[in-house]
Amino acid sequence: MAECFVLSGSVGDLPWAEAPAGGLRLVSAPEAEAVDFALLDCFDRPLTGSGRVLIEAGAELTLLTDAGRLAQTAARAGNFPGDLAPGPVRTAIADLPFLRSLLALGRGRMVEQRLALLDDQDKTQARARLWRLEPKGRGVAVTLVALQRLRGYDAAYDQLARRLRGAGPHLPLTALAATLFPGCPPYSAKPVVPFTADSAARSTATALIAAHLAVARQNEAGVIADIDTEFLHDYRVALRKVRSILSLFKGVYDPALTDELKRAFSDLMAPTGRLRDLDVYLLDRAFYFELLPDRLHPGLEALFALFAAERERQLAGLSRRLRSKPYGAEMVRLQAVFADPERLVSGPAADLPVGDFARGLIWKRYRKLCRIAREIGPETPDHEIHMLRINGKKLRYLMEFFAPLFPGKQMAKLIKPLKRLQDTLGRFNDYSVQQSSLAQFVETHHAADRVADLAIAQSLGALIAVLHQRQLEERARVQSHFADFDSPATRETFRKLFHHEATA
Amino acid sequence: MKIVACYSNKGGVGKTATAVNLAHAAAASGLRVLLCDLDPQGASGFYFRIKPSKKLKDESFFKDVKRFIDAIRGSDFDNLDVLPANMTFRDFDIFLSRMKNGRSRLKKALKAVNADYDVIVLDCPPNISALSENVFKAADRIVVPVIPTTLSERTFEQLLQFFADHRLNRRKLIAFFSMVQARKTLHQDTMARLRQLYAGQFLSAVIPFSTDIEKMGQHRAPVATFAGSRQAGQAYGALWQEVRARL
Repeated sequence: MAECFVLSGSVGDLPWAEAPAGGLRLVSAPEAEAVDFALLDCFDRPLTGSGRVLIEAGAELTLLTDAGRLAQTAARAGNFPGDLAPGPVRTAIADLPFLRSLLALGRGRMVEQRLALLDDQDKTQARARLWRLEPKGRGVAVTLVALQRLRGYDAAYDQLARRLRGAGPHLPLTALAATLFPGCPPYSAKPVVPFTADSAARSTATALIAAHLAVARQNEAGVIADIDTEFLHDYRVALRKVRSILSLFKGVYDPALTDELKRAFSDLMAPTGRLRDLDVYLLDRAFYFELLPDRLHPGLEALFALFAAERERQLAGLSRRLRSKPYGAEMVRLQAVFADPERLVSGPAADLPVGDFARGLIWKRYRKLCRIAREIGPETPDHEIHMLRINGKKLRYLMEFFAPLFPGKQMAKLIKPLKRLQDTLGRFNDYSVQQSSLAQFVETHHAADRVADLAIAQSLGALIAVLHQRQLEERARVQSHFADFDSPATRETFRKLFHHEATA
Repeated sequence: MKIVACYSNKGGVGKTATAVNLAHAAAASGLRVLLCDLDPQGASGFYFRIKPSKKLKDESFFKDVKRFIDAIRGSDFDNLDVLPANMTFRDFDIFLSRMKNGRSRLKKALKAVNADYDVIVLDCPPNISALSENVFKAADRIVVPVIPTTLSERTFEQLLQFFADHRLNRRKLIAFFSMVQARKTLHQDTMARLRQLYAGQFLSAVIPFSTDIEKMGQHRAPVATFAGSRQAGQAYGALWQEVRARL
């Protein structure tokens, strides 16, 4: 039962000219000694975005929201939200994605001060705790205020709250991180690129690529520091999107230039694939153990030990590469290329208005997807299913890239069943890729002794068999999920939004 | 929600000190506690510096649940609220039955204002009456301080007899030795005899006769807040642990 807010600056000598009313006395405990603090959030700042402030100071984690303050021990097994000790803070941030690690957005010194309103019996009627945060760096100091209501003393609480609220200019909790640590820009894996239907296709493509290139670069440090696996994932998704734009936005650039750029981005992604595969294996460790009976677990243990060791080597190699001069120079070169659309040699579609261009691309891709999907039956070879997946992915990317041009609600209605279809196709593909990659693994890797090798081979054999079953199950779902996607309403919306007379 | 009554049919045995310090220890362990001051001569509210509420002298206050809730006061300690009331018998009777009934308006109203208590501690008046009979029925445990003297021994026997006569559950009674002076042979002998006579009825925690407990009146605060590391402060913590284990 309390509230929290942020005052900008520090509440110096408590500017209460007015004496407390109703026979109450304001007392303040002497300021505590300054301690180090760190402002914690995940890289994409879900806490900041939702108005939650998580501070580690001393041995305590404190979470402040508009509704009050929670605290618990800072002792923890790791930095993922699920690593926190059980407690109110952990419960209150249980909505955070479990793959993202907490990290310090910034550090500084913190001074706590306690205030109370007492009556003539020296009974506390209302309390407040103030924390002055003095950031390291160029940021501005702020004061966090947490009021505590005592049941039955509402008048005193209101009095204290009124005074503290008036003690300085307010900052929303969502602005705290940017005020304390202005140096680090907020991160979003899905950058907002402003354009309209009248923008030229080439300048839109260029702006989208520049934005995704920037996203990739923002993730480099996190990959090197190995904070969590999402950095590499986001890095790869951003680069993959750049490649999609290069191949899907047909004719915006000169064909020779397009080929050269595609190669450059393909070269950037190539050294990241194995590390991502290993990340996925290691993250899904529990899933694999559930697939096999206990008897085959020792082999899996040995296999996962090999995975972990290989991941270390892959990460070391990739980190070296990301820190290298040639890599840095290549990224700077590419950023310069996309900094100015005029510097890119035009293709035939360069000056088309992006609205018509987008509708044409989406409509064509949608028709192609439907054509493949409607042919699928029990006899269809696997590579046709892969084609369906690839076309579904391309359609989804196109719809995401051009989302600002179309009504959000209708787009969401189209994307939802498409995503469901894609999920099934994605699992189908993962199971298929994993079978061949595991089979290859057993041929190229050897444990320390023959006994371990044998155990690994047995477990791998079983795993491949189970994955094959799973793949068949997913495959059986493809047709029904496509039928869900291929509803009359969806067809009608696709036609209405994207089948323009001009592109017919 | 559990109801713990602090009761003695003899005055001056440290009953109010028990209620205040047990409630404080329970709250400090993280439970949400409401301490109800039911003893017109008691001073639970005094020890928490809480002024008695005028509103509660109104006969019909229980007709309006909101007015009851408005009478609850937050203490200076986390998780610990106090109802500084001298309730009338009728009100108290209604209070007990409604606290036991999870679906009553009172319970719902408490929940609505985020005052969903885990433990209710009652500081009961020191006599055997119709009121105390209701307390004995409603409470989950009745904590009885007993000074290890011959006179106190007799009062405790009377209480047991009362339970027998009224077919009350004697196992609800938890006795402990209060105001114990370890150097007095009489105290030692009485304690040994009673422990043997009423095996299992007496807790092993013992509250010593202590100036720290007397000083509660000066400090107007639970012992643990000003003498937490001393014998008396520790003793109430141990007492609460034992009571909790029996809830």
